[in-house]
Amino acid sequence: MLKPILLVEDNPHDLELTLIALERSQLANEVIVVRDGADALDYLHVRGAFADRDHGNPAVVLLDLKLPKVDGLEVLAEIRDNPTLKSLPVVMLTSSREEQDLIRSYELGVNAYVVKPVDFQEFVRAISDLGIFWAVLNEPPPGSQRYIKPQ
Amino acid sequence: MPEATSADIATCESEPIRIPGAIQPHGFLLSLDLSHLPDAADASAARVVQVSDNLADFTGMAPAAALGQQLRAVIGAAADQLAPLLRLDQARDRASFLATTALDAGGPQFDVLAHVCDGLLVLEFEPAAGNLEASLHRLYPVVGDFLNKINDADSIADMSQLAVNEIAALTGFGRVMVYSFDKDGHGTVLAEALQDGYEGYMGQRFPASDIPRQARELYLLNRIRLIQDANYTPAGLLPAMHPFTGRATDLSLASLRSVSPVHLQYMRNMGTLASMSISLVVEGKLWGLLSCHHATSRRLSYHQRTVCEQLGQILALRIRNRADADELQFRLEVRRVMVNLLGGLTQGTDFIENLRTVMPELLRFARAGGVAIVIDDRLISFGDTPDDSQIRQLAGWLSLHSHEDLFHSAHLGAIYPPAAAYAHCASGLLAMPISRIHQHYLLWFRPEHVYTIDWAGRPQDKRGPGALSPRTSFESWREAVHGTSAPWHDAELELALEFRTTLLGIALERAEQMADLAEELGRANKELEAFSYSVSHDLRAPLRHIVGFSDLLMETAGNDNPERRLRFLTNIKTSARLAGKLVDDLLSFSQMGRAALRPVRIRMGEMVNGCIERLTPEYASRRVEWHVDTLPDVIADPAFLQLALYNLLSNAVKFTAQSDPAVIRITSEKLSNEVVFHVADNGVGFNMEYVHKLFGVFQRLHRMEDFNGTGIGLANVRRIVERHGGRVWARSVPGEGATFSFSIPDTPLPDKE
Repeated sequence: MLKPILLVEDNPHDLELTLIALERSQLANEVIVVRDGADALDYLHVRGAFADRDHGNPAVVLLDLKLPKVDGLEVLAEIRDNPTLKSLPVVMLTSSREEQDLIRSYELGVNAYVVKPVDFQEFVRAISDLGIFWAVLNEPPPGSQRYIKPQ
Repeated sequence: MPEATSADIATCESEPIRIPGAIQPHGFLLSLDLSHLPDAADASAARVVQVSDNLADFTGMAPAAALGQQLRAVIGAAADQLAPLLRLDQARDRASFLATTALDAGGPQFDVLAHVCDGLLVLEFEPAAGNLEASLHRLYPVVGDFLNKINDADSIADMSQLAVNEIAALTGFGRVMVYSFDKDGHGTVLAEALQDGYEGYMGQRFPASDIPRQARELYLLNRIRLIQDANYTPAGLLPAMHPFTGRATDLSLASLRSVSPVHLQYMRNMGTLASMSISLVVEGKLWGLLSCHHATSRRLSYHQRTVCEQLGQILALRIRNRADADELQFRLEVRRVMVNLLGGLTQGTDFIENLRTVMPELLRFARAGGVAIVIDDRLISFGDTPDDSQIRQLAGWLSLHSHEDLFHSAHLGAIYPPAAAYAHCASGLLAMPISRIHQHYLLWFRPEHVYTIDWAGRPQDKRGPGALSPRTSFESWREAVHGTSAPWHDAELELALEFRTTLLGIALERAEQMADLAEELGRANKELEAFSYSVSHDLRAPLRHIVGFSDLLMETAGNDNPERRLRFLTNIKTSARLAGKLVDDLLSFSQMGRAALRPVRIRMGEMVNGCIERLTPEYASRRVEWHVDTLPDVIADPAFLQLALYNLLSNAVKFTAQSDPAVIRITSEKLSNEVVFHVADNGVGFNMEYVHKLFGVFQRLHRMEDFNGTGIGLANVRRIVERHGGRVWARSVPGEGATFSFSIPDTPLPDKE
């Protein structure tokens, strides 16, 4: 019944840490993991390896900025460019405070921009705040389908 | 000297030299009306309509009585001999020789010349000197001889000397000189042949005013003039006016033409009773004169004069050839200097610094004493120049007053009075703007050339105001000329313009190179940004992981399963190792941009095999087939090229991990000016959509756990190849392998960094 969270992360260590953080935030949403920007777009467009998945957008996309093939900014740009995806909440996760990335992300209409804190407790808090806000509190745009978590 | 004199030029120039209304009395003149002939075939019946009033001295017939008579009634039997020759279609620009004939059988012989004047046929009769055939027999070898001798003469002075010697021998004139006119019309004596008792004028100068303008014009038309006796009494024309036009008769082409009384006085003042002058016409201009003087009267036959005229023409032709050759030689020399100059100008990167290094050549180029370059607030000067502030002021004045591509003056002080203060070094100026936009100048200075002129008599010498009287003194008079430099030669000006065009071309090329450089700098800068971006992203990640997994380890201490704790520890270790590797790679990458290339000849086959050997441990458990073509040698830095090659081969090994067997081919192609190497594998390949990211710093097309590495290898390859002046590119079909290619030029670029 809750829509899933789409986590786009290529680095295995970051992935493991993020999953642990999400687990700790006690969100009920399923977390779908893809490993690069191209896969993320395939998932969102319900094509390629994801052609058979249930339709519907995720509650939120947690998007790493630096990704192989298609990077986070390119994924974000394509989401905002697509009529069925453009209102999808996107949170950019990144290692750095590079101003150019921040500016570019907001220009492209990112909903939140999070620099991954070095301290793990802080990281858990940040992820869990994000999850609660975007996956639970935030009312999705009208017309989006409720996702029923498969049993 | 030729006719007319110094004195008041305005008066002199109004002297009617073409229409003196009289002739010299040693011959006689009569004009015929060839119209209304009773029998067109018989011109001996033509009517005499104008005669010189000395007619009776030669024919016994009173001049008035001759008017209206048929020709044969006036000159008797000679008319029958001349009749067939009398035509109005005579050459227009000179008198032609008709015949040598006697008026009465057994009487004195006359040379008869004819020319046409406003519809009349003018016949001139002058007493012939001896036998025609004998004189031709004697005269023509003179011409051939002279031609031979003058061909051996090198300088214009030598040629002139030969000519005066020849003419002196031929004519017996006591003084024969060649003088040339400068651009102001002053004549300088270049050669002379003197008999005993004649004063020499060698090297002296005759003022332009000695020969008034209308005389110079006449000298172009009628190239030889003779005055047999300055004490003659002119024989007037009867009627005085031209019978057809009613105006004064134009005697320009008449060899007996009477000259100005002023000129006769001039001759007498000079102690000369006979004179002859022959025009030296070079390229349509009166270049100079062959001038002959004799203290007593002298007769010269038409044929003698004709030979003299021919000698003059030969001399003029040789002068022209010589001048052309000198000019050519001079241009070649200047051009040679220019080529050196331009070579120097393209050496280094700073254009102005380059100019500084070629200063001595710049001086030589314009035969200048000093040179200065003004570019914005930079001023470079070399040699003997005015001081900096004077140069700046001069450049400022030029920018306001000269809008030509070239400014030149050999007497700068006359047009720019402040220059008088530094006349010693800059009496001459050749300046040119060397930018189309800015007021940048290249200035050449020539020093004052104080020279003395030995005038043959004071040029300004006059008897009294308004009086038309020739100067009486021909004593040498010395004048010093100040404030002028050696003149700027036409060839120098032309080549300076050419130099300017080339200079602007170089400047333009420089500008383009600067733009290229800026672009290159921009690219380097971008690379630097990518570098710092990578540091903040990629270097931070492993640190964060180390902290994250350590925190997890600490909080789960004791109550977690050992497997999980081991994995966290492993993660910490690999993160730490990765961080170290990232730092190493970044350092090597940045070093690659800085270290100088040391290109040598490299045997590519050996280098490839060396790399393969080093790679062996990496694929110990796999089957890898290497196919290495025969590879050509290249000129490159061996350490760098090996790094690039190793990266490509190691990538090929890495991305064929799933292929069994892995097949890696190394081939080459020899193109016109470069060698291309290909490294082809049958590995996973990549999507061509992302090919533009392939060679960027820390760009990866694969997940880290699938293929390890920091993502810097191909960035290194690109940087190494580009620093050798080559290119890198890649092609792939996913799942079917990839081919990475790079080129190395035959002659590597000079290292730019």
